[in-house]
Amino acid sequence: MFEERSIRITAWVACTVLALFTVLPFVWILATAFKTAAEINLWPPTFLPHAPTMANFHELLQETPFLRYIFNSLVIATGSTVSIMLTSSLAGFVFAKYRFPLRGPLFMLILASAIIPLEAYMVPLYIMVFKVRMLNTFAALIFPLMIMTFGVFFMRQVIMSIPDDLLEAARIDGASELWIYLRIILYLSNSGLMAIGVFAFTQAWANFIWPLVVVSSGDMYTTELGLAEYQRAFFTEYGPIAAGAVISVVPMLIVFALLRRHIMQGIATSGMKG
Amino acid sequence: MSGAAQPLAATPFAQRPGLRRTWLQMRRNHIGFVVCALGPILALFVLIRIYPIVETIRLSFYNYNITQRRNPFIGFTNYIRLFDDDPFRTALLNTIGFSVLSVIFTLALALAIAILLRSIEPAAPTFELLFYIPVVIPWVPAAVIWKWIYDPAYGALNYVLSGFGVPKLGWLQEPTLILYAIVVVSVWKLVGYFIVIYGVGLRGIPEELLEAASLDGATARQKLVYIVLPLLRPIILFTVVTCTIICFNVFAPVYVLTASSQGAPAYDFKVVVGEIYQNGFVFYHMGYAGAQCVVVLLFVMSLLIVQFLAFREK
Repeated sequence: MFEERSIRITAWVACTVLALFTVLPFVWILATAFKTAAEINLWPPTFLPHAPTMANFHELLQETPFLRYIFNSLVIATGSTVSIMLTSSLAGFVFAKYRFPLRGPLFMLILASAIIPLEAYMVPLYIMVFKVRMLNTFAALIFPLMIMTFGVFFMRQVIMSIPDDLLEAARIDGASELWIYLRIILYLSNSGLMAIGVFAFTQAWANFIWPLVVVSSGDMYTTELGLAEYQRAFFTEYGPIAAGAVISVVPMLIVFALLRRHIMQGIATSGMKG
Repeated sequence: MSGAAQPLAATPFAQRPGLRRTWLQMRRNHIGFVVCALGPILALFVLIRIYPIVETIRLSFYNYNITQRRNPFIGFTNYIRLFDDDPFRTALLNTIGFSVLSVIFTLALALAIAILLRSIEPAAPTFELLFYIPVVIPWVPAAVIWKWIYDPAYGALNYVLSGFGVPKLGWLQEPTLILYAIVVVSVWKLVGYFIVIYGVGLRGIPEELLEAASLDGATARQKLVYIVLPLLRPIILFTVVTCTIICFNVFAPVYVLTASSQGAPAYDFKVVVGEIYQNGFVFYHMGYAGAQCVVVLLFVMSLLIVQFLAFREK
């Protein structure tokens, strides 16, 4: 775009410095998680641990129910992801390939609601869950995360690019609509579906305010909630909290590293929409 | 075959050709499948999105408390109370101040980096990946990471600054500093996402346009101001709306960063969602919390309308 030499040099320098600053805080916590308690409270601080130790992870996982929190988070994130992948692809398919009354207005309604944050309507959700006596359950934790309106929009875009002739040919061969969805649509939209899966998983894993609201007993904490509460109250030492932060980040980084191409494509589409 | 179809044709339903044609058309469009597939999803959508949004508005007119039997209608009382509620006013001002700073810095930085990356295109994907790492880190661990950096006694930030002769500062303890401390965390966390979005927009600008401008002797600055930025306008508008909504709902990092821990008390920086949480789920004043939610709803809606009008203009 800008080929001038001076701009290219500026770009290299500025981006390298900023990228370093971006990565540094995470490297810092990673290093801290492997330090001994004595080294953490050293002034001046050390950057890399002198004697790397697993003691912090050990303490966190052995002496607190953090392992249970990880399990809870995994259950919630998996449940939400499965539900979102199913509902997004099915609704996206119907909106992309069928004509029916009110299709336009319904789709606009879904699209418009996508931007409204959970924080703005969580009070009635809580009352609903309270009234059916489901507080403190996995069902309650997954409940508001069962559909993703952006997912419906995104899968519609993806599925619209699948040629109609393909569907018509399958129908002539006697395929039912359900068969077409299962065998053709899911197969051909699978890259987009992966992106939605990743978004759903990270969103559910990172969700904080809903677990904070519906969970009241320790055994239903998620990793995020556990981490925040430890940070607030239980610990006077930073090491185990650093270890907890690392544990809560690593699955996200792995998922991201494995599927980054799908994710980047997904974001690109969300930006295109604007 | 045709014999079986005969009695059907004789029913009153089929006597009205308009209806019959509609029915056949719907059959051809697989209305059965549409209803079976979309019905449950729409029902779920209404249950977890539409109903709660509408119900939030209704609640805001009631003195609703989950622990009491009677929840009387009280009209606009909750809204009137909002005006006299000092913590809420503080929270609103804090949230607006935070959002303005955070949106400006995040988007300006993201745009600058995205533009610079276009001149080193081969390295751009690697850089985008590095900048994207904090986006993947959830808010809670992100706040935990920064809390340690901001620590007044052992924090890395005070250590680095001490090299320049700056005395140790309580970044999360001083009411004036904590705003900037949280802005830094959110810029760090969000900038990567917008770099990728701007990257998409910038790659969409036809190269010939810029080459033609270069041939006519345009400087880099002129190309930026007269070609690149005007073409990016819709994407910039989209990112301003998205980023503002994200920032306006800030809660998790504030919850973690303002908590007293490790023997260091922090300043209680109030934000809107924090007030909703406090009123709705700590005091169970759900009607009142509902009124505060409606403030957020109205804010988001007005942004949406601005965006919609701006796009229609084109």
